Amino acid sequence: MTGHAPGPDSPRAVASKRDRRNLLAAIRMALRVESAAVRHNTQTFNRGRYAAVAALPDYDALKDRARGIKELSIKRLPELVTTLEASVKHNGGCFFLAPDATAACRYISDVCRAAGARRVVKGKSMTSEEVGLNRALEAHGMEVAETDLAEFILQAADEQPSHIIAPAVHYSRERITALFQRVFRCAEPLDTGEALTVFARERLREKFLAAGAGISGANFIAADTATLVLVESEANIRMTSLMPPLYIVIAGVEKLVPTRADLAPFIELLAASGTGQPMTSYTSVISPPLNHAPVLTAGPAPPPRQFHLVMVDNGRLKMRDDPVMREALYCVRCSACLNSCANFQTVGGHAFGGETYSGGIGGAWEAGTRGLESARFAELCTGCSRCVPQCPVRIDIPWLNTVLRSRLAQQDARAPGVLGASPQKQFFGRYDAAAKWASRLAAAVNAVSALSITRVALEMLFSVDRRRLLPRFAAHTLRESAPRKPRAAAAAKRVVLFADVFTNYHSPERGLATRRLLSAMGVDVVVSDPSPDGRASFSQGLLDTAAVQARATAALLKDYLDEGRDIIVVEPSVLAMFRMEYRHLLDRPEESGLLAELRARSFDPCEHLWRLLQERGLDPAGVFPAAGDPRVNRLFLHAHCQQRTIGAAAPTEALLRACGFDVVSSQVECCGMAGSFGYKKEFYELSMAVAEDLFAQVRRAERDGPRTLVASGTSCVEQLQAGFARKVFHPMELLAGMVQAGAITEE
Amino acid sequence: MSFVEQFAAAARNSAATVERVPRTAEAIASAVERLLPPGARVVVSDPRNLPVELFAACARLPGVFAERSRSALAAADVGVTEAFAGVARTGSLCVEVDAGCTGYASLLVRLHVAVLAEQNIVERPGDLFRADRLGGEGLRRNFVFITGPSATADMGPLVRGVHGPHQLHILLVRGAGTASSPPAQVLA
Repeated sequence: MTGHAPGPDSPRAVASKRDRRNLLAAIRMALRVESAAVRHNTQTFNRGRYAAVAALPDYDALKDRARGIKELSIKRLPELVTTLEASVKHNGGCFFLAPDATAACRYISDVCRAAGARRVVKGKSMTSEEVGLNRALEAHGMEVAETDLAEFILQAADEQPSHIIAPAVHYSRERITALFQRVFRCAEPLDTGEALTVFARERLREKFLAAGAGISGANFIAADTATLVLVESEANIRMTSLMPPLYIVIAGVEKLVPTRADLAPFIELLAASGTGQPMTSYTSVISPPLNHAPVLTAGPAPPPRQFHLVMVDNGRLKMRDDPVMREALYCVRCSACLNSCANFQTVGGHAFGGETYSGGIGGAWEAGTRGLESARFAELCTGCSRCVPQCPVRIDIPWLNTVLRSRLAQQDARAPGVLGASPQKQFFGRYDAAAKWASRLAAAVNAVSALSITRVALEMLFSVDRRRLLPRFAAHTLRESAPRKPRAAAAAKRVVLFADVFTNYHSPERGLATRRLLSAMGVDVVVSDPSPDGRASFSQGLLDTAAVQARATAALLKDYLDEGRDIIVVEPSVLAMFRMEYRHLLDRPEESGLLAELRARSFDPCEHLWRLLQERGLDPAGVFPAAGDPRVNRLFLHAHCQQRTIGAAAPTEALLRACGFDVVSSQVECCGMAGSFGYKKEFYELSMAVAEDLFAQVRRAERDGPRTLVASGTSCVEQLQAGFARKVFHPMELLAGMVQAGAITEE
Repeated sequence: MSFVEQFAAAARNSAATVERVPRTAEAIASAVERLLPPGARVVVSDPRNLPVELFAACARLPGVFAERSRSALAAADVGVTEAFAGVARTGSLCVEVDAGCTGYASLLVRLHVAVLAEQNIVERPGDLFRADRLGGEGLRRNFVFITGPSATADMGPLVRGVHGPHQLHILLVRGAGTASSPPAQVLA
């Protein structure tokens, strides 16, 4: 079962993302070959996870507990390693702390050779993939059999994993059949999942019975008792740990927790967050060697059991010293961040991943275990943030990727012959400055930007894909259009409408509708000066620029907060900056008060209106009678990714339903546009492939007649317009036209 | 819903089958016998938690063998073991893997029959890591949470029966003092 040489377009050939060309080639390969299977499998996991965690009554408390244990464990790591070593020896096993991949491979090869083990069975272990264990053992003449069926497939295909818990997630049943028939030269049809499983089971049963050594990873390890937790469904890890006389476990040092009692929250969270099951078929909780289960032999005298635990550093202790990347050590490898990621769902880990680790959390792991350049695929993290609420240990994964992109940009800028950040990053990162100037000449810019020569130039200079419609600049910005404050002196509610870049220069009608509607509700609304909030530069990894902009915007808004005005933010990605990302930018101790105010007192317009109606005890259907006209009250609502994460999407949907609209909501994690991502030439196809799920849902929802498309996010609007070439409304635009003056009562 | 009812429902959700039987050796043996395919080779692993006598009648069933060699155990079709705990919320069994051949009898066979005393059902998996549940047994034993038969989705569709059992049958026995309860019944 030897692999064939990888072709130029095979997954193995594009595994390393040190060269950016590999990233782009991998995306093309994945879209062509692997996308359908990855999409089906990850979306199945994703739906399962939502259901499984909803069934956990104390999900949030479990997450807090798991997070707390992980923080403490990593803090105490050197001490826990010492405790673990003593525990393993007390149980009768051997312990080895491998400083790097080479040392880990050498130790395990030596142990196998000393035991005379020629045949090795393996359970799925990402750490063994990371250190390249199979090649090392084979170089010593050992036969290595991967026994997890996904790893069995990958071993036959000579490919790297495309997912951290389902490594062959990119294989459809049809492709597995073709692979087995080619590699194993078998004549049987193998045209069902059952037939393939029986085929593999029979081959592997022989391997288990003949194996001299079993090697697996571990999900968690308790230091006090050297207890391993092994999570699986196929029972191959149970076989690996029980059948051979020699059992070796290889795991990263970050898998340690202090005590056996600390394992509890992880066992309850892991399967729910991963495959979406309450529990997988088997979760072993063992402290090997298993001295009371005799090794099975042909003869009467069973040999004594041997157990070796190999804990791998290989860059982890350095990650521990890095205040940002340390977070990645809390990762429990559940894969929720992969399955909830729209880009990952579309291309999988051969594109959105490196040689071992993949998905949102994969960048930090490849950087930590292989080097920063190996994390170049972190570009595929758009910062949509859908993974953030899914992480059972509350890792801010988009932040890790933002920092990785920033560090990569800095490293690239230092390369010989390069001056500063790339033109593309500069263009998108300082979009506010471009927009400010362009807006003064709106008509001319709109005319010029429609010219094909302009698009060619933009594509050449900044890689802005020419197939994208460019957003048009408004003749008058929001700031210019909003009347200068004729203040209702006695208004009980006072707010400031923040003139964010997108609303101010491109879509002032959204801001004006918001102002009109809130004014009609008796709220005193003033419009702020425009100010770059930092979102654009943040998403390009230009963190110094983002911090300067964030501080300027915070200072601008502080005056309004001090006046007693809450902040209304039309663009959800900007509101998300205030609520989520500003904590990374306003990081000085004296800024904590303003940061907290900004987080607590900034609102999405619908969120604010929903609260207002509830506070005043008004029936939304009375104020906005949407039920009346069946031709206009059918909506398709697409919530913006970050708007969902910060909790502003649910009130929007609740409000529209309460008004009497017939609402179908999109079920996708992200539209795929994700700010500048979908404009970039190199990501255009991926962005449109992601959008296909959203477009299909719109088409399904419109089978019984057209619906009005509604979205709060600028990116989402542009993506929906790319798909359907018709007006997409902001909820405020819909509602502003409907206010029944008489239905509103002042407080 | 009681823990027992919750357990039975969750276990069925995981594709196990569940049957309630009286706490007698005869009742357990006849429940096992009804499950045996013709000519089945059966391995019975003595319990450590329940009284050994409860498994005594099982040992006399046709097809039961006593040899503990690799070839004999690898050829077994049916394994009977105890489960020292059950988990209501997930329908999981807790079976020791480091106690004689219990680990093998619950792993190498196509049909695993597990005998669980109802009073040993706890609410949630985390309870196995608490000193104040089941006398802290969960903190001391080498065991596996078993939730349904072995399964994979790696070959495309979900397939049950991979390296481990294809089928899991759970015999729930009532607590002590209910030996004269009515004959075996399948939970509705």
